[in-house]
Amino acid sequence: MDNFKWTRKDLLSLYDLEAEEIEHILDTAEEFKKVSQRNVKKVPALRGKTVVNFFVEPSTRTRMSFELAEQRLSADIININANSSSLKKGETLLDTARNIEALQADLIVMRHSAPGAQSLIAKNIRCGVLNAGDGAHSHPTQALLDLFTIREKKGSLKGLKVSIIGDILHSRVARSDVWGLIKLGAEVTFAGPATLVPKEFENIGVRVCHNLKDALVDADVVNLLRIQHERQKRGFFPSTNEYAKFFGLNEASRKYLKPDALVMHPGPINRDVELDSAIADGPQSVILEQVTNGLAVRMAVLFLVSGCVEK
Amino acid sequence: MKSEYILTGGRVIDPYRNIDKEMDIGVKDGKIVEASAIPDAEKIDVSGKVVCPGFIDMHVHLRQPGNTAAETIATGTMAAAAGGFTAVVAMPNTSPAADTAGTIEYIKRHTAQDGVVKVHPCGCMTKGIAGEEMAGIGSLKSAGVVAVSDDGRCIQKHQLMKHIVQYAKAFELPILDHCEEDGIKDKGVMHEGVWSTLLGMQGIPSAAEELIVARNIIMARTIDWKIHLQHISCRESVERVRIAQKRGIQITAEVTPHHLSLTDERIKKFDTNYKMNPPLRSEDDRQALIQGLVDGTITVIATDHAPHTETAKLVEFDYAPFGIIGLETAIPVCLTELYHTKLLSLPDLVSKFTKGPADILGFDQSGLAAGADADITVIDTETEFTVDADKLRSKSRNTPFKGMTFKGKAAATIVDGKIVFNEL
Amino acid sequence: MPAKREVCNGSEVQAAITRVADAIISEFLSDNPREFAMIGIHRQGVPMAERIIAKLESRTGYRPQLALLDISMYRDDIGMRKSLPIIHATTIPFDMNDTAVILVDDVLSSGRTIRAALDAVTDYGRPELIRLAVLIDRGNREFPIRADYVGMKVDVSDDRKLAVEFNENNGQDGVYEIDWKKYRRGDH
Repeated sequence: MDNFKWTRKDLLSLYDLEAEEIEHILDTAEEFKKVSQRNVKKVPALRGKTVVNFFVEPSTRTRMSFELAEQRLSADIININANSSSLKKGETLLDTARNIEALQADLIVMRHSAPGAQSLIAKNIRCGVLNAGDGAHSHPTQALLDLFTIREKKGSLKGLKVSIIGDILHSRVARSDVWGLIKLGAEVTFAGPATLVPKEFENIGVRVCHNLKDALVDADVVNLLRIQHERQKRGFFPSTNEYAKFFGLNEASRKYLKPDALVMHPGPINRDVELDSAIADGPQSVILEQVTNGLAVRMAVLFLVSGCVEK
Repeated sequence: MKSEYILTGGRVIDPYRNIDKEMDIGVKDGKIVEASAIPDAEKIDVSGKVVCPGFIDMHVHLRQPGNTAAETIATGTMAAAAGGFTAVVAMPNTSPAADTAGTIEYIKRHTAQDGVVKVHPCGCMTKGIAGEEMAGIGSLKSAGVVAVSDDGRCIQKHQLMKHIVQYAKAFELPILDHCEEDGIKDKGVMHEGVWSTLLGMQGIPSAAEELIVARNIIMARTIDWKIHLQHISCRESVERVRIAQKRGIQITAEVTPHHLSLTDERIKKFDTNYKMNPPLRSEDDRQALIQGLVDGTITVIATDHAPHTETAKLVEFDYAPFGIIGLETAIPVCLTELYHTKLLSLPDLVSKFTKGPADILGFDQSGLAAGADADITVIDTETEFTVDADKLRSKSRNTPFKGMTFKGKAAATIVDGKIVFNEL
Repeated sequence: MPAKREVCNGSEVQAAITRVADAIISEFLSDNPREFAMIGIHRQGVPMAERIIAKLESRTGYRPQLALLDISMYRDDIGMRKSLPIIHATTIPFDMNDTAVILVDDVLSSGRTIRAALDAVTDYGRPELIRLAVLIDRGNREFPIRADYVGMKVDVSDDRKLAVEFNENNGQDGVYEIDWKKYRRGDH
């Protein structure tokens, strides 16, 4: 463990990481979690570093979490949103990124609606690049905070049964969680309507089912995903009522849940659609702890990659 | 430039006449002659090489007029020559689209000025390739198009398609169709399968192609005319074509070198040089396409050479244009993937680039017989070729084969007796 | 010179720890005894602090509390190295405010680690006073920092590394001088 060396300047997806690297991030995050519990919630680890939060797709929670993490590490921060950026003027993404690089920024935290947009940037510029979500592809810090929360509550991921329920097809959370869970030894189930849970995931060892009961029974962790009304318009399911009836975790379906199962949600919750309020606010829910842990995980990741960005 | 010479000692493969033997080929004043008729002509030693009738790429985008930053008739035909092609069919989705005789004349004029190989224009099926109104197909024929196509797009209105097939039949123009059903393709950017699922990208289901393949088979049957399916990419298309051909329906199909050699897994690094339409599909599809070539269902290999500037391609995968260049890599890729693997004999492979397209387009069938135009492709099947994108003749660099090494390539290209590319 | 040369043996290390403990006793636990706590800086400051505490307890019966401190987040060389140090757990079982604390580390050299440790400690509160105990003072100071309690002074040239090993951390008590270039080459 003491011989481990973190060597990446970018965090793009958990698919790229070895189990050892994931564990190292989680271990590092444990120490950063303590920083936020102190009176002085700030360390000088990124003092003098410039971090650019480059959000080409709107975000409230993730951006807030990253920004606070950066502040707690004493970094200098610039926020660029798609609306205010030059992207509207027809500049290519890479040109915008090169401009950011020319300002001697050290790290770019980036969200974009197109899968792989961060890979394009990371390959072509010196700055470290942290993926804060790229379309339906990846959202590695969300997965890391999920892993951190599960590990903190359950001790280890090994052998745990984790069910992710909802709109898997459009979910970068599911696509990130799955790699972290598999690499750390958990067994993953994806569940939801047949239109939103592609069978192709069976190719990487995920159990795919379209029946909520099968997903809940025996699960040690249940992660509910936000269902977007927009999908209904495009014919993926008939109505939120019917969705809630067949795939929502509610009074009727909670009886299948093990008493010690954790209930998670990446937020924001559609209360009483995918998750009933009573359960979201109940003793099995770790949803707010996920938010707290997200900060620690992002501090850890910023700290680690900042050490590998060349001058 | 010498006007008389003899290619000596080569293995001559002429699919038009079922010839595969070592013999000398004479060239005089742009025509093929018996070698014995010009005994004093200069001898060019091509022993160890393969001498074939000129290769035809019936699916090329030369981008002129409209997008000369990506390619021009000059650079595109230079790339064709370097790739071993003596003739190309230029797709009409230029800007403006080749939907009038005027644009066809423009292309012919520039080909006469700058063309290194022969350029056969293809006209539009609909005005502006908009899929709404029939283009002036008769006038296009008079202007010299060899076929009509809305390539890049697909006519979704079946009744309009029916009228176009009926109308084109009367002018004896074959239909070249890009098979894609827009509704099910939606905003897809890659093959719908395991990799689109893992990468979170919207997929283009094989069904988008299969639906229109089925429609076109129905059209070809009911109207009894030639419909050629461009760049088919999936198993289901091959199977439908095979059945249709057995029933005597005038349906033919082409496949590209990239669909024969690459699969969707390549996209996992988000390299937009693996983004084209139809998309790279699964290994099972790739095998089915090869099988289609082997059993004769697919009679044509065409490149769908689609140049794009680096600026256009070096963007988010979702936003990058579809298409890759292929003229200069087609022979190396096909020799490596089909001939050296013993899947296809050399005469069968040569046929896919010569007699295959010529049959569909109604081109001259004399091959290397005396009296024919001296359009000749000489191949070295054994030389190693590593794709150096910066050394390609095409104006664009968007090749998925960058850095890859292949076995075999074109050694010389001769158009009307003139040696336009020479690595002998 | 070999890649790794012993500078002090185990009994010399033990004697140095005893000297440090004695100095602490004379300041805090003799005439007007008063409470204090110790802070071991990861990694080798931790076993050293534990040794000192054991010694204090056997001599006086008083057992100060021990905090463990990782200073990685406070270093001034982040981004100047190929990789980052592993962060070890920081645990502080007492209130830092108004407490007298003794920082413990194995080797005092440039003073940069202690500078970082002072920043870290003050982020946890406002101690009454801070003292510094080290096993070895090897000189080569870059910051205006001195130790209050020194086990021994060792003279080594700038390009040599001094390594302290303790039984507790898979080593054997002793101080070693390491020729870094040869050591990396695997001559040891």
